[in-house]
Amino acid sequence: MRIEHYGWSGGRETVLRFGPAHGPLLVAVLPLFEEANRTRTFLVRTLRLLAERGVASALPDLPGTGESALPSAAFRPFAAREALEALAGGTGERCYMLGVRSGCLLDGFVLAHGRYHLAPVAGERLVRDLGRVRQAEAGGRERAGERWFMEDRWQEAPGHVRVGGMLLSAEALLDLSLLEPFQQADVPRRVARLATDAAPADVYLQGSPLWRTKEPQDDPVLAAALADDVAAWIAACEG
Amino acid sequence: MSVSPAIDAAVRAILRDTLGLSEQRAAALADDTPLFGAMPELDSMAVANLLGEMEDRLGFRIEDDEVNGDMLETFGALARFAAAKAQA
Repeated sequence: MRIEHYGWSGGRETVLRFGPAHGPLLVAVLPLFEEANRTRTFLVRTLRLLAERGVASALPDLPGTGESALPSAAFRPFAAREALEALAGGTGERCYMLGVRSGCLLDGFVLAHGRYHLAPVAGERLVRDLGRVRQAEAGGRERAGERWFMEDRWQEAPGHVRVGGMLLSAEALLDLSLLEPFQQADVPRRVARLATDAAPADVYLQGSPLWRTKEPQDDPVLAAALADDVAAWIAACEG
Repeated sequence: MSVSPAIDAAVRAILRDTLGLSEQRAAALADDTPLFGAMPELDSMAVANLLGEMEDRLGFRIEDDEVNGDMLETFGALARFAAAKAQA
């Protein structure tokens, strides 16, 4: 694993690189907010396994996420998508995207040769789940409605709400709520879900929903299955 | 509302996965096993994850006004809630 940096129009962020220095590059995107903490170990394990299979990959911090110099309140979906485009476009390599959960909402600007989405979630659903968390943090007495983040009673500062210990912009949540995972008929996309998931998918993998656990956990069996499927899919796309 | 073996198993597995219960603890959950307020792992934050995973795994949507203390009181009450939603 190598620690590098990349630039975008708003600054500079860190990116972890795995595997060969050249060749088709898989850019991985963690879920947003608390789910990132719960899935980081799993995703890093997956990228290490992909490196053993000869696949080069990158795991960037996006502006306002992870170890970014920007605070969580500065996170904006548009900026995150722009940063991903700058990272992918700056490598000069053929890029593929690997999104996990809400990470699948952010790859729309990248001229990717294909997208692999693990348990993709719509923005509306993500924001609804955050509302439940906020409601729980407030003691569960008041109901958080569909546009809860726009209401004064849920805001910590004007235009901002605190959820799961993070201060977030209401504008960013509104933007997120309108996003759907990228899907275009002529661009390869493969959707993977857990075998327990009721939603449609191209492949179902055995594993546990790490993004919903109380504490960060790992799932080596799921990571190995995911690495195998992603490596085979990239090989098929490369023809 | 009777609970099918499939729904019973799914709710048991969801509690195991979201709360980090051992296989033994999950298997030992009985109809009258108290949950919210009695099981330390099931705090209000965990409830949010539990509801989300029930939606993903069982394919229905839970409205906020359906969430109350009664449905979370015991394992049996939660399983009957899931069975009723799955049948609706």
